[in-house]
Amino acid sequence: MAPDAPRPAPVTARTSRIKDSTSYKVFTVVNMTVLVLMCALMLYPFIMLLAQSFSSAGAINAGKVNLFPVDFNLDTYKAVANNSNFWRTYGNTVVYTLIGTTIAMVLTTTYAYVLSKKHLKGRGLLIGIAVFTMFFNGGIVPNYVLISSLGMKNTMWAVILPPALSVFNLLVMKAFFENLPNELEEAAHIDGLSWFGIFFRIVMPLSKAVIATMVLFYSVQYWNDWFAAFLYLDRTDLFPVTLFLRNLIAGASTAASEGAAASGSTVSDINANIQSVTMILILIPILCVYPFVQRYFVSGIMLGSVKG
Amino acid sequence: MTTPRPFPFAPTRRSFVGLSAAAFATVALAACGSNSAEEVDVESQNVGAMDDYAADTQFKATEPIQVSMLWTDWPEVPVEDSWRLFEHIKEITNVEITLTHIPFSDATEKRSLLISAGDAPTLIPLVYTGEDAPFVSSGAVVPLSDFADKMPNFQKYVEEWDLAEMINNLKQEDGKYYMVPGLQEVSVPVFSLVVRKDVFEDVAGGVPNTWEELHEALKLIKEEYPDSVPLADGFEAQSMLNYAAHAFGTKAGWGFGDGAIEGADGKLTYVATTDEYKQLVEYFRGLVEDGLLDRESLTESNDGSGAAGVDEKFANESCFAASGSSGTAIEFATALNETVGEGNFSVGLIPPPAGPAGDKVEPRNFWHGFMLSSEITKSENFLATLQFVDWLYFNPDAREMLRWGEKDVHYTKAEDDTIELMDGFSLDDYAINTGAGTDIKIDLGFSTFPAESSESRALKESYSTPEFVEYIDDVLTTRTPRDPFPPTPMDETELEQASLLATPIKDSVDTATLQFIMGERDMSEWDSFLGELEAAGVPRYLELLNNTARDRFVEANG
Repeated sequence: MAPDAPRPAPVTARTSRIKDSTSYKVFTVVNMTVLVLMCALMLYPFIMLLAQSFSSAGAINAGKVNLFPVDFNLDTYKAVANNSNFWRTYGNTVVYTLIGTTIAMVLTTTYAYVLSKKHLKGRGLLIGIAVFTMFFNGGIVPNYVLISSLGMKNTMWAVILPPALSVFNLLVMKAFFENLPNELEEAAHIDGLSWFGIFFRIVMPLSKAVIATMVLFYSVQYWNDWFAAFLYLDRTDLFPVTLFLRNLIAGASTAASEGAAASGSTVSDINANIQSVTMILILIPILCVYPFVQRYFVSGIMLGSVKG
Repeated sequence: MTTPRPFPFAPTRRSFVGLSAAAFATVALAACGSNSAEEVDVESQNVGAMDDYAADTQFKATEPIQVSMLWTDWPEVPVEDSWRLFEHIKEITNVEITLTHIPFSDATEKRSLLISAGDAPTLIPLVYTGEDAPFVSSGAVVPLSDFADKMPNFQKYVEEWDLAEMINNLKQEDGKYYMVPGLQEVSVPVFSLVVRKDVFEDVAGGVPNTWEELHEALKLIKEEYPDSVPLADGFEAQSMLNYAAHAFGTKAGWGFGDGAIEGADGKLTYVATTDEYKQLVEYFRGLVEDGLLDRESLTESNDGSGAAGVDEKFANESCFAASGSSGTAIEFATALNETVGEGNFSVGLIPPPAGPAGDKVEPRNFWHGFMLSSEITKSENFLATLQFVDWLYFNPDAREMLRWGEKDVHYTKAEDDTIELMDGFSLDDYAINTGAGTDIKIDLGFSTFPAESSESRALKESYSTPEFVEYIDDVLTTRTPRDPFPPTPMDETELEQASLLATPIKDSVDTATLQFIMGERDMSEWDSFLGELEAAGVPRYLELLNNTARDRFVEANG
């Protein structure tokens, strides 16, 4: 077609469509408005957080910061970034998240696959053992004693292993596997594949959506976790970044109340937006990962939840 | 095709429950551990102990020993194992301190966990009075009162600084105390009024000595500066009510505590139901009505550093008196330097004004002290450890070392006992030699939290600003500390009961107090407020305090 030739297609398409009724148009407008408002409602705290993290203490205390930074200021980012402990703990968190998510995925997928096989004898017990832990647990002190007795205290395994199997994730994944057509596996059996072969070469490639969702769930869980580290770690060099930042927030408040201004330090400036800087720094990696995973997210969780 | 192998054990529902119960019992038993009380013979557990250890002598273990210690990690002062502090202590005492780190943010919770799990290190520092109560029944911490005779420095300074009665009040329901507090030769309220002294001089003829004088002075200032609201709190009213309450013969704000105060009949009564409390509320209500007390500063939430922009208001001369510590006074001065100009103003902390109950200020108090984990009673180093902690916490030379470092290395002491840091060393926290290179706190570990615990007046003044030294002097010469509040030690169950009752009552008191002060509730409703408290369970709470805790304590201790 010549470059200046007429393009009839869009006109044809528009004229051929059924005309929207007035009520549908009203519905669409209301729908969009509500959704945009909801979206703004969700985004506002985050944008305000971002604005606060770049604003000066005076502006924040005076309540002037809303959507945009006031008196642009990077002191807190600098204070946090210049802290070698911050980077060490950040590194720990990355390690815990990567290893933890890997282990959690191995445990969850294999356990869920086994549970999805209805002919498995003892399946009820295996499910019962898992579900039991959703409702009952030993409590903090017995758990602490258990982890200590197992020799995991002050090792990264204390942070990684206890939460490595989420029963909720396990059940979602089990339901997903149950939905996979049996015929595929039977065909694979006939073609000579072993159980592991089926699992790795048939089931896993078909489960990308639910796997991506679970990876997201687990990585967020490991990334945000501070409690296990707080309980089982006594060495600062093993702390995850969440514990470091939690400490920083509490410390900044106290330092300011104790009059650390005597030293002319910037503690009072830092205190004003340490929480926002903290949250932004913690959020960044998850924000980076989310767009790549979210397309699987809805389908993953829905597919698994159809059959309970 | 591989057929799935049958699972060898097909459980019934009953066997499943049985298995679960067995597993639970195993974990529970493991958690309990052995708690059998063994006979402690401290004299024979004397490896490393000095035979001639006495007050004011240098402790040095006769052979190297280790003492494990809980260390709270302040984020701005990350602890380093290489700190000179630990090395120096080892050199002079033969004691190696090994650390268990807990983050500052959740230090109390982690400490409780470690103690409950029987995993706490020997020395548990940063313990405030009353914090030992939850551990009494479990036997997880040492009843230190049983071993006070092995701590000669502690005994000496309790007597010398007249603290014996206060120590008596530390006793728990079994008549023993489990924590040894930091002793203070003098104690003054940390928070009081920070005022623009020059404005009070010019407008009102001087800084106020009583709350009535303050009211009059604020009126005059308001006339002079009509746009101002001259008085502010910034700590959700908790700070000002606290230091004012003592002069009104009551307890309020931060100092509300368990809410119990001794009535005329010697029985405990709930403080918010007393006439003195009402009088306090009416006084502040009057200030708000006259437009003299900043309402915003009473309500805006405070994250610990003071809220409602009081420092900005101070700088803009729309506020002339506010609650604060010596640090707050410095903050205000820094802000005023930029607006009013250095040298054109005078800001300082003044003693809490006197009131209807006289020139009373808060009772003398202890500072944080320590507990010892019970595990140490099984150690052959028990006596040496007792001697070491006694030296560390109460020996004057040890206290000076913990605050300033090594004499003639980090600091010098003149003949008149004035202490100065040597060249190259700073203590930035107190703006001493700022920027000199090596901060004795951050880089060497001195002046960290162990340094705060016990202090003579001279040591406290050695690092304080001249203004704060003047404040200490003013308070000590013009004010009288109240008698200590009567102790009501309870066991764990009673504490839980009391807490369940007291928390909602206290919430009602806080809300109503602010409503009355802010004028949102009429004073004619005071009686209905008292009715609300009664309905919330004040009589039951008082019964618990009086008939259980108080009577038992009086019976046991006189």
